[in-house]
Formats: sequence, C-alpha cells, structure tokens
Amino acid sequence: MSLSTAFNVISSAFSVNAAQTAVVSNNIANAGTPGYSREIANVVTNGFGGADVASVTRVANAALLEQVTSSTSQAATQQAISAGLSTLAQTVNDSWSASSTSGANQNGASPSAMLANLQSALTTYADSPTSSSAADAVVTAAQNVTQSLKAGDAAVNQVREQADQDMASSVSKINSLLSQFAAANNAVVIGLKTGANVSSAEDTRDSIVTQLAQQIGVSTTIDTNPKDQACGSESIYTDSGVTLFQDTARTVSFTPTSTYADGVIGNAVTVDGVPITGAASPMPIQSGALAGYAALRDTLAPQYQAQLDQIAGGLINAFAETGPSGSLTPLPGLFTTPSLFSTPGATPPSMSATTGLGAAIEVNPKVDPSQGGDPTKLRDGGINSPAYVTNPGTIANGTPDTSYTGGLQQLISQINATPKGGFDTSAGLSSSSSLANYTNASVSWLQGENQQASNNADYQNALATQATSALSNATGVNLDAEMTNMLNLENTYESTAKLLTTVTTMFSSLLQAA
Amino acid sequence: MMTTMGANFVSTHYLANSLVQPVMRAQSQLTTAMTELSTGQYADLGLQLGDQSGYELSLKEQVQQLQALTTGNSVVASTMSTAQNALTSIATSAQTTMQNLAGWTPGSIGAGSQLQLSGQTALQDLISSANATSGDVYVFGRINSSGPPMADYYSPASAAKTAVDQAFQTEFGCLPTDAAAANITAAKMQSFLIGPFATLFSGTNWTTDWSSASSTNTTAEIAQGQTVTTSTSTTPTASTATDPNPAPTAFQRLAEAYTMLAEFGGSQLSSAAQQAVVTTAQPLILQGQTSLTNTQAALGATQSQVTDANNAMSSQLTILQDQLGNFDNVNATTTAAQITRLTNQIQMAYELTSRLSQLNLAQYLPA
Repeated sequence: MSLSTAFNVISSAFSVNAAQTAVVSNNIANAGTPGYSREIANVVTNGFGGADVASVTRVANAALLEQVTSSTSQAATQQAISAGLSTLAQTVNDSWSASSTSGANQNGASPSAMLANLQSALTTYADSPTSSSAADAVVTAAQNVTQSLKAGDAAVNQVREQADQDMASSVSKINSLLSQFAAANNAVVIGLKTGANVSSAEDTRDSIVTQLAQQIGVSTTIDTNPKDQACGSESIYTDSGVTLFQDTARTVSFTPTSTYADGVIGNAVTVDGVPITGAASPMPIQSGALAGYAALRDTLAPQYQAQLDQIAGGLINAFAETGPSGSLTPLPGLFTTPSLFSTPGATPPSMSATTGLGAAIEVNPKVDPSQGGDPTKLRDGGINSPAYVTNPGTIANGTPDTSYTGGLQQLISQINATPKGGFDTSAGLSSSSSLANYTNASVSWLQGENQQASNNADYQNALATQATSALSNATGVNLDAEMTNMLNLENTYESTAKLLTTVTTMFSSLLQAA
Repeated sequence: MMTTMGANFVSTHYLANSLVQPVMRAQSQLTTAMTELSTGQYADLGLQLGDQSGYELSLKEQVQQLQALTTGNSVVASTMSTAQNALTSIATSAQTTMQNLAGWTPGSIGAGSQLQLSGQTALQDLISSANATSGDVYVFGRINSSGPPMADYYSPASAAKTAVDQAFQTEFGCLPTDAAAANITAAKMQSFLIGPFATLFSGTNWTTDWSSASSTNTTAEIAQGQTVTTSTSTTPTASTATDPNPAPTAFQRLAEAYTMLAEFGGSQLSSAAQQAVVTTAQPLILQGQTSLTNTQAALGATQSQVTDANNAMSSQLTILQDQLGNFDNVNATTTAAQITRLTNQIQMAYELTSRLSQLNLAQYLPA
C-alpha cells in the first residue's frame, strides 16, 4: 500500500465523517419534531480500503404507523359522537337536581322529569279538585312538558346543524391535506428517481396521512415496483376501500345543509361521485371524525328526535278526550298542536306518523288560562265540545260537581298506560312501554349511547397514545445516543487528523531524504 | 451504536412528553373528584349511569309520586276528620233528643213546646253539621261539594217546609197551627206520619227539597293503586245493580224525626196525637243513630287505611331514597383518597419532569 493510498483513505474518512456528522446533526435538530423518523448513515468499505456512506436509511415502521392512524381514526369517530351526544344529554341530565327529591317537584329539564311533575300536579289536583290554583298548576306542568320536548327537539336540530358544519370543514381539511400529500408524494417519486434524500418528504407524507386519519379512516399502499413509472408513490384509500389518492388527489365533495328540522335528510359526502356516508352509500366509511359526524347527523340524533316525537304523539293520544262513556271519536285534549287546534274535529295523529310532533306539541289553548282557556275543563271534560263533558253535574243540570275526580284519575292512569296502538318501534325503543317508562327508556338510550361513545373515545385515545409512543420510540431520536455518536465522530475526526499529520510527516521525511 | 433498538431505545421526544398526558388525565380526574367531594354526587350522573339512567329516573319518579300521594292524603284526611267530627256532633244531638223524648210526659204543662224546641234545636244542629266544610269543600256533598248539601229548613224560601205544610193540609185540611188540628186522632196522625209525611224524606222528594249532594262518591288514590271512597253524604248512594234501593242515610231519618217534632210538637195537636208523634219519632232516631254509628265506623276504617297507607309509603320512601343514594352518591372516603392519590401523582410527575430535563448528556460533557 502506498502512502498516496493512505491519503485517499484519509480523505474518504473525512467525507464519511462529514456525512455522518450531517446525519447526527439532522437527527439532533429534529429530536423534538413529532413524527420525525431518525436517519442512519450506512457506511461501507470502498475499493481503496477506505469508507463511503453508501446510503442514508430512514428508520420507518409501517405496522406501527398503521396502528397510529387506525386508532387515531377510531378515537376521532368516538370523540365526534361523544361531543354531539353529550350536548343532547345536557337536555336530560338532571343530576344536579338529584338532591331536590325532598320536594314534590323535580328540577331539571328532561321530558321524563317534567312528565313526572305533570303526574304529581294531576294527583294534587285530584286531591283538591275544587282548587283553581291546582288546576293552573297542571297547565303549567303541561307547558313545562312541551317546553322540554321542544328544547330537546331544538337541541337535536342544533347538534345536526353543528355536525353538518363539522362535516363541511372536515371535507375541506381532507381536500387540503390531499393536495399537500400530492406535493410530498411527487417529491418522493422524483427524489427516488434522481437519487436525492427523500427522508424529509417521506416524513411529510406520514405526517399528512396521520392528520388525514383524524378526519377519515384511511389505509395506504406504496408502489415498490422499480419498473413502475411512479415507483415509491403512495396511494390512499378510505377504510371502506374508496380511492382518495392514486397519483393524483381525488375530489371529496359535500354540499352543506344550513338548517335542520325533523325529517330533513342531510347530503352525503362523495368521492368522485361515490357517496361515502349516508344510507345510500355502497361503501360507507367506518372511522375518522367525518364518520362520527355523519353517524351523529344521520342516525343517532334523528333517532333521539324520533323518540321525542313518539313521546309527544303519546302525550297527545293519552290526553285525548273520548267523552263520558269513552266511546266518542278521540279529539285532542290537554296536548295538541297548532295544526290540530286550528282544524276542528281533527283526530290525534297515529303513533306511526309522529314526525315533527316534538317541535309542534303545545298545551291546548282552551285549557290555558293565559290564552283565555278554562283549566277546569281538565276536570270536567268538554274541551272539544259539550258532548265531551264527563262531569255528571254538568251533564245533569249544567252545574259541575266540583269534587268530581273521575276524569282526572283517568288522565293519571293514562300516563302509566301504553298509548293506543303502542309506540312505533322504528324509534328503537319498546313499543309496549307506558308513557312514563318510555320517556325513561329514552333517557336510558341517550345516556347509554353517550356513555358508550365516551368510554370508546377514552379507550381509543389511550390506544392512539400508546401507538404514537411506540412509533416515537421505534423511529424517533434519542439525544444521548446521538451525542454519543457525536463524541465518537469527534474522536474519529481527531484520529484521522492525527493520521493525516503522521502521513504528511512521513511524506516530508521521504522528500527530505530524497 | 445506531443499531441499538427495541425495548431499550426511547426517543427523547417521547421521554420529554411521556409525562404530559398522564398529568393532564390526572388533572381532569382531580377536578371531577373535587366536584364530587363537594356535592357528594357524581359530577356527570348521566355519563356515570349510562343506560341505567332511566331506572334511576323511575326511582326518582316513584319517590316524587309517593310524596305527592302523601301530601294529597293530608287533604283527604282533613276532609274525613271534619266529616267524622260533624257526625259525632250529630250523634250527640241525637242522644240529647232521645233523652228529651224519654223524659217527656204527655199532657204536662208546655209539653208541646218542649217537643217543638227539642226538634228545632236538633234539626238546626243536623243542618249545620251536614253543611260542615273543610277548606272550600262541603264534606257531605260527595262530588258536588261547591254548595251546602242540605237545604236550610228555616230559610223563608224552604221548599221542604212548604212541602211539609202542603202534605199536612192535604191530609187534614188545615195547618198544624190551626185550631182545627186539635181534632186529629192519634191513629190518623200516625198513619199520616208513616204515609205521606215519610215520603217527603225519601226518593226524589229528599234530593229535591232537602239534599243537593251528589249520589256519586268521591274517591281518592291514597297509595299507588289503592283507591278508597272518601265521602259520606246526606244523599244515599246511587242505586246500583247489586243495591237497587240503597238504605236511607242517617240524615234522612234524623231529619224526618226532628221535623215531625219541630212541626207537630208545639201545634194544636191533642196530647194523644203528640204522643203518636213521639212514638213515631223515637224509632226513627234510633235507626238514625245506628246508621250514624255504621257511617262513622266505615269512615274510621277509611281514615285508618289512609294512616296505614302513609306509614307504608313512608317506609317505601326510605328504601327508595336509599336506592337512589346508591345510584347518585359517591363514597366520600373513596373520593378523598382518590384526591390524595391524584395530587401525589401530579406532584411526582412535576418532580420527574424537572429531573428528566437535567438528564442531558450535554450537561456532563466538558465544554
């Protein structure tokens, strides 16, 4: 081996050292960057006996990354559902008033509590049928029931409107991420062709996929066939298999609906015209915030609304008047709707056609003293016409028997009975419950869904955190390890410099001798 | 060196941030625990109970319903005790009248006006007791409780008084106060009293002239599913399939007896006819007393039913409230322990974070 070969080796040592130092510096600089994958300089011996940096490897872990994206998507779905349901649960959560059970009235706002208050008010009125204040109290309690149903209905619409807006913003985020992804992916494909370092572009791609997973459940594949034009290109599909990105970004589109009411169906999100949400979707997405918003808007909130409608329909039917023998055509009694009220002789809607009643139900103006009505008609009957009077005194001589309670006891028993025809099972609850039990079951349903979503969100969040930690540990930077490397490189540099000095001295000696 | 991987490798980013999440979780648990400790109840009951929420609500509703029934029972009880008092006062007055009649000697001086006074006093007592009120409710009116159930015999427009006079006039062709009445024999008097006079106190004559009470009883739900008849009245109950001719009430019999004493006692009637009045009145009062006793006993039974129902509901309430407590209330000791644990955990996390920041190789290398 000649001295000039030694120079070549020294020179390669310096360049390897510089390359390694660059990698270490890059790693140290990005120690705090979330999602950064550390790089390793692969050093090989070259033909002269020196060393070369053959390549720089990016430490990646596809399996862990997939765990991160899928648990992130699941957590985002459950969080979206949980946020919406807890808004709805506010309308039935009377927990803060639980200590008030010492009184005859419950505070809170749930239809369930308000119905119980109405029953108490009716019981009190039946015990003091001559008291006009007890009659007024029944009307007030009935108004609270309708208020509670209307508030629940409005909360459902509000949650659906919010979910619709969230879907719109989620879709615009997805589109923006997909176009960012296109740029990063292009950089990788071109970089691979030109042999440039594509680590940073690959990091960007991974980070975009993770952000995308927040919004929509995704799976990815990378084209590894070197013969392909687009070798290294990553494709993104929804978790249901619809292509979101393949060489180019697909367009995700959505037309928001600004106002929701009972029965309004929101628009579906489409990818290249294929719906990915809603009942008509052949391949509905399973996870991501978008799936959560869609489930909330299209399934959960409408189902709760249907339950409120059933309660309203049940109330109108249960309190309908049927006359002294109970055989007359039922006509709306204590509860009615503006359209029923303005159409004399209109019968209460059947339990299978209750859509919109939750928002429309109101206390019959004919018994509401603030609208000129007479609340004692609750006791005596005859809200609709004199033929419906049940008070025997009024029937006999036109003067009501003031201690008559038969009609009131009939009303009380209706609260604990199943409305005629039973509840419609499409609302998801038992059809043969009593009115009181149905309102309770509705609260159970809502709180059960809420609890489940909240627990799932906690669980999936924990999974996502764990997966993120595992990924960070597998692909991240350890400063101590990098510092040790740095010291090592310093020593190598120093040794190489010494070697250079020695070889130079040897050359000088050789030249002087000559 | 670079190949050191696996479980031993920890990224600095993870190390620096590993404590952030647990601290945030502990802090949110701490706020919840503190709310729960101060209120004694779960911070978010709905979230805590989930699909048990409806059951918890139904317990609350039962509690509320029992309380409403208990409150209502006090109204019912007060109405019944007013009725009971009035019945006692009627019984006392009947007792006094019986004593007066037993001590009455026909033909003695003022014998007639004695009878008349005794009858009048008793009749007035009867009417005022029958019109007893509790709150704004006439207790003997059954469901028609808005007006006095028994008409005032001594008001100028009394239909009952007119009917009595008319009946007498029809029978004997004169009024009891007329001198001609002296000729009426005891036998004739007796047949008048058990005939035309008696019909004035039964059937529609009674409900038209005397009693405006309804024949329909008031009922009250005194406990869940337990409905009792809470009223008694001046009017007999409506005829039913099982009881087509309900027994006349104590009020009917006593009114009949008292009226004959008051109307025919101080009149021009002969001693023998007066004697006939007294002998007809006595069994009527006796029957009335028996009927009163029965009514009082029935009412008393209902009163004790209400008391029993209240006691039963009170113990039921205790059980329900215990059950509710199991749902709603947090265990204060557990919560306090949890707060201590969380506080310690957070403190340790802070301590560790500051120590970890010292664990940096650069600090230990010579400059």
